[in-house]
Amino acid sequence: MRRSTAAAVGTLTGAALIVGVRLSVTAPVVPVAAPPVVDLANSVPSAKPSATASKAAGSSKKKESASASASASASKKAPAGGFKDGVYKGKGAKNPYGTIQVQIRVEDGEVTAAEASYPTTGDSATINPPAIATLKQETLKAKTAKDVAAVSGATFTSKSYQESLQAALDSAKA
Amino acid sequence: MGTVVSIELADDRPDPELRELIDDVCTWLHEVDARFSTYKDDSEVSRLRRGELAFADFSPDMRHVLDACADLWRDTDGYFDAYVAGPLDPSGYVKGWSVEVASERLFAAGSRRHYINAGGDIRMRGTHPDGGPWRVGIRHPWEADKVSWVLAMTDGAVATSGTYERGDHVLDPRTGKPARGLRSVTVVGPDLALADAYATAALAMGEGGIAWLAKRAATGYDSAVVTDDGRAFSSTNLPASV
Repeated sequence: MRRSTAAAVGTLTGAALIVGVRLSVTAPVVPVAAPPVVDLANSVPSAKPSATASKAAGSSKKKESASASASASASKKAPAGGFKDGVYKGKGAKNPYGTIQVQIRVEDGEVTAAEASYPTTGDSATINPPAIATLKQETLKAKTAKDVAAVSGATFTSKSYQESLQAALDSAKA
Repeated sequence: MGTVVSIELADDRPDPELRELIDDVCTWLHEVDARFSTYKDDSEVSRLRRGELAFADFSPDMRHVLDACADLWRDTDGYFDAYVAGPLDPSGYVKGWSVEVASERLFAAGSRRHYINAGGDIRMRGTHPDGGPWRVGIRHPWEADKVSWVLAMTDGAVATSGTYERGDHVLDPRTGKPARGLRSVTVVGPDLALADAYATAALAMGEGGIAWLAKRAATGYDSAVVTDDGRAFSSTNLPASV
C-alpha cells in the first residue's frame, strides 16, 4: 500500500481519531449498505465546532489511529489552532482487524473531521476476512426444543411464563 | 417485577444442601429487588429518584450499578441508557448482573454445575447432569413453542432481548420512540450483565445493531439476531450445537 511520506507533524489529541471504522468494501452479508469510501478532500467542510464529538464511536478503544505523521495534500492559511488547513492522511496502521488509514480535515487550524478506511486496492487481500467483523446471514429455523435444558427468550412476565417453553421444561423435571 | 427464575443445580450433593443453595440465590434476588425495584416506593433506587438519598449514602451495590451503567452508555454509543425514559432506571443492567452475582455466590458456596434462568437471561456453569454441555434453546421470535438456535455451553451467559413478549419496551434513545428493525437479539458471552446490556442496546439500535454486535465478537461476545422481517444473522463462533 501507498506509503505516505511524512512531512507535517502534528499531535492530534486522542479521542478525535478513535472513530468508528467504516468498511469501504461492502460485505454481502451486512444488510445495511456500507457507506462509500470517504474522501475528505472531496467532501464539503463540516460546520464547526465538532473537533472531537462528531464521529466518536465510543465503543472502539483501539489504539490503531495512525500517529500523526502525515503528508499534507493541501495547505492553506495560517493556523489559528496550530494546524495547517487541509486534508491529511496518516500512515496505514495495522491492527487485528486489518490495515487502517486515518484521514483528517483541518479547517481554521482545527481538526473538524476524521475518518478511517480500509484500502480497497489489491492490498485488500492482506485483510483476513474473519477480521472484518460481520454476522453471517442464515435461514431462520424453527426447531422443536428436543433435549434442551433451558430456553433463552425475551423477558417473560409471570403470566406468560406459564405458557412458555421454559415452564414446560421445568415441569418436566419437577 | 414479576420475573420468574428457574434454577437447576447439577452438583452431586445431598438434597438439603442443594436446597440451601437455592434459598441463598432467592435471598439474594429478593435483596436485589428490594434495592433496585422501581415499583417499590421504599427501594433505594426509588429514594434516589426522589432525591432523598445523598451520594455518600449510596450502597456499594448501587455505586457499582451506576458505574456500570455509565460505562455501558459510553461503550454502546448512548444506546444503553439508564435514563432513556427520564428518571434513572438501571433495570436493564440489574437484571443480568443480579444473576451473574447469584452464579458467583453459588460457585463460592461450592456449586460447579448449575444454571440460573431469570426471565430468559441465563448463566450457566459446568456440565449438565448427563455430563454433556448445557443445551440452551433460543426462543423462536414468532413461534413460542419452537427454538431458532440451540446452544451448547459449559461456562457462560446467554441473554435475549426482544419485542415479542413485552412489545415496544425498548426505546431508541435518539428518537425517544420504540426501537424498530430487530425482533430478537441474543448475546452469548462470559458475563451475563454485559450480555444482557449488549442485547438491549443492540435492539435499541435497530438494524445498525447487527454491525455493532459483530464487533463485540472480538471481545468474546457472540450473537444471534432476527430482524422484524424475519432475516436471521449469527456470529461465526456462536456456540451452536449442530
